[in-house]
Amino acid sequence: MKIQLTKIERRIRLAGILLIAGLLVELVTLRWAHPTAFLFFLLLGGALMAAGIGVYLLSLVSDENKPSPE
Amino acid sequence: MTGNTTILVAVILFSIILIAWLVLRPSITATRGGKMLAFVALLIFPALSGGMGVNRHIERSKTTNFCLSCHVMEDYGKSLRVDDRSFIPATHFQYNLVPRDQACYTCHTDYTMYGNVSAKLRGMKHVYAYYLGKPSQPIKLYQPYNNRECLHCHLGARSFEESEAHTKDPQTLPRIKANQLSCSTTECHNIIHNVGQLKEATFWKEQAK
Repeated sequence: MKIQLTKIERRIRLAGILLIAGLLVELVTLRWAHPTAFLFFLLLGGALMAAGIGVYLLSLVSDENKPSPE
Repeated sequence: MTGNTTILVAVILFSIILIAWLVLRPSITATRGGKMLAFVALLIFPALSGGMGVNRHIERSKTTNFCLSCHVMEDYGKSLRVDDRSFIPATHFQYNLVPRDQACYTCHTDYTMYGNVSAKLRGMKHVYAYYLGKPSQPIKLYQPYNNRECLHCHLGARSFEESEAHTKDPQTLPRIKANQLSCSTTECHNIIHNVGQLKEATFWKEQAK
């Protein structure tokens, strides 16, 4: 049986995947002592992490979080 | 792996575990505890890991191994091991006058995070030249070597202040200190890396401790 995810849960999942990818890039570049590693860390890892945090913050302000009018 | 790197790796792995939990079970964010967990796992820990990562990379950019990791710098690394005391960088490196693990950064301090914007742009140009272009040979400094890099250690030292060569003319020391008389391009200390002479040079082999 497939569980239906809400919009917020989908965004949290996407944010998590982006953040894990960014953190893995950071982990790899820490093992690589070369100027290019810093660029990868900053441009690829940094972009993935910024996107992940952005998607998470977006999920906080999404419509589903607003209280319903009484 | 240094202590700081170990801590950073631990923070990253812990972050990944927390985030993976949320990815697998996003429904837990419906509860108050889950919301707090999401805030910590998706915002606080990644920001902390990112900040620590930047700091770690900046610190590593000061190391001699980092500078010599590019092929074009190999000869400059070799020049640190020339068995000839007239080679200024070699003498500083071999006699521990500069920390060996930060030998380049000690004498070339106008880069890394605290260098100016043009230093950063030059760094990007170097990466481009390394992969897609052709690095200039021989490598040259962008600006004349500043005596400041020598004086941050030698200033006030008796061997510097009372040296006969420095005191014979009373104008010499003030001009050196004002960077008007270069330490390295005058005939006094002008054998620097001289990578063109490495073919004839003999090299110091560090004894195993």
